[in-house]
Amino acid sequence: MTVVITPTMIGQVVISGLLAGSLYAMVALGLGLVFGVMRVLNVAHGPLLMLGAYTTFGLFQWLGLNPYLSLLVSMPALFVVGVVLQRLLVRRVVDAPELSSLLLTFGVSIAIVNLAQLGFTSDVRSVEYLTGSFVLGPFAFSKSRVIACAFALVITAGAFWFLRQTRLGKAIRAVSQSREVAQVCGINVQRIHMITFGLASALAAAGGTLIAVMVAIQPEMGQVYTFKSFLVIVLGGAGNYPGALLGGLLLGLIEQLSSLFITTQVNEAVAYILLVLVLLVRPTGLLKGRS
Amino acid sequence: MTRWLLAGFLVLLVLLALYPMQGTGYGIRTMLQLFMWIALAQSWNLISGLTGYVSFGHVAFFGMGAYTAGILIGKLGWPWLLACLAGGVMAMVLALVIGWPCLRLKGPYFAIAMLGLNEVLRVIVSYYEGLTGGGSGLSLPTLHASVPIYYAMGLVALLVTALTYVIITSRFGLRLMTIREDEVAAEAMGIDTFRYKLYAFLLSAVAPGIVGGLAARDQGYIEPTSVFPLITTITMIVMALFGGKGTIWGPVLGAVLLFTFQELVWARFIYLHQLLFGAIIVGVVLLMPRGILGVLQQKYNLPRTI
Repeated sequence: MTVVITPTMIGQVVISGLLAGSLYAMVALGLGLVFGVMRVLNVAHGPLLMLGAYTTFGLFQWLGLNPYLSLLVSMPALFVVGVVLQRLLVRRVVDAPELSSLLLTFGVSIAIVNLAQLGFTSDVRSVEYLTGSFVLGPFAFSKSRVIACAFALVITAGAFWFLRQTRLGKAIRAVSQSREVAQVCGINVQRIHMITFGLASALAAAGGTLIAVMVAIQPEMGQVYTFKSFLVIVLGGAGNYPGALLGGLLLGLIEQLSSLFITTQVNEAVAYILLVLVLLVRPTGLLKGRS
Repeated sequence: MTRWLLAGFLVLLVLLALYPMQGTGYGIRTMLQLFMWIALAQSWNLISGLTGYVSFGHVAFFGMGAYTAGILIGKLGWPWLLACLAGGVMAMVLALVIGWPCLRLKGPYFAIAMLGLNEVLRVIVSYYEGLTGGGSGLSLPTLHASVPIYYAMGLVALLVTALTYVIITSRFGLRLMTIREDEVAAEAMGIDTFRYKLYAFLLSAVAPGIVGGLAARDQGYIEPTSVFPLITTITMIVMALFGGKGTIWGPVLGAVLLFTFQELVWARFIYLHQLLFGAIIVGVVLLMPRGILGVLQQKYNLPRTI
């Protein structure tokens, strides 16, 4: 049986890809920031996202809080968690060989997942809030995805504005370019590291909150986003922040196109093969990244 | 000193060889798993301990071996020993296919690529249901005695440790360690770094392939999530680190200590198991980055390879 692929289907897939991709871009921007500024590969990024999702679930379930409003809670809460993690642990593996940071954050990650299992059990939860779709001509899009995309774009734009325009943002970029020079210029590098990790965790939390409305919530939900964020920053060029946006959108598109032409199950495999191909041609990612 | 150690080691080997005559089924299976972990930690050490290229998805080779052997035994009726060796060969082929592009990547990019490889293999295995049984897994005809597997696992652990010894004490090993210390300098000295990394990578894939096949044979049932878990990679890394990476005996020591600890202690804390393991990982990374042997070497001024 052959499936006829119509232009409408392709249009639908492209738009779905961009919808998903904007979310990947926002989450991966956090991972990319931490890597760019500290040279730390944070495997716990996905589990932090999962904590964001549970925050939203909890507030919705017990207080009836609007899931999108809970961004105002989940982001600051995870900012604090990130700062604490950085102060206690991550600080000690900055500049260590990547094995140390990978392992340390992996240890943190399984501890977080285990705590979530203890706290919330492994039962699958969901936030029953926004269902149904917007219909626009021949296309239909789930409302929660469209709104998630809008929030993700706004938050990503906000993060870019922050990095480009504010004093603190400029200091973060300065540290990511050269720690020594930044230090000489009077920037408190330790403080910048702490804030960066907090911001990255807040971006992960925003991802978790937005995803909570779309998919099932369970303690292991985060890991796949760690992997996707890695893909995104490598595709876009690690340490290149606008690259995260490009990489995210690209990953969304690739996933959707591969589910149209092949099958949904092999999304990850297709994205991975593409990653290896990109790295072969441009070992530092599509946009110029750091080696 | 060395002579006494060697004598002790030989006595230990004889005792281990005789153990199945006395041991209970449970005891034999526990020992067999210990051998498996020694082989896994040691093989990770071959690439990552010696060259510094962190293989963050080494369990991919284990899974490759498990599925190769599983399909050959379950579907084609091959004798298990031959099927497990084929598992080792297929793991090596996989290492060639993936090492060719990925070993050109530097540092974190290689680690991420290896992490991805493992995830992708799991997806592929779940997808090709006709061959692999997909998500519902693959059953093998049951084997009623673990004793042959015990010997096979023990032999693999012994051989991969011997291989590590041979490599570390050879010019080949010296070149690998030069790459680890300073790849640019190694290149400048005329070492074809890519070729040596690839050789080390191929060698390090064989043991996990065979061991994966043996484990599949022993368990009689494999499925994607049980064969490709990231935690297995992490466990072998932590074992190698705990004992001391880049050394001959470090991975063995780490595997024995952590495995024993796991059997005696963690098994009692079902709900906190992962939390404790996470804490141990964090502790090892922060407190003993060079492992037990690293600490001893510094204290007693021993050679760094031991």
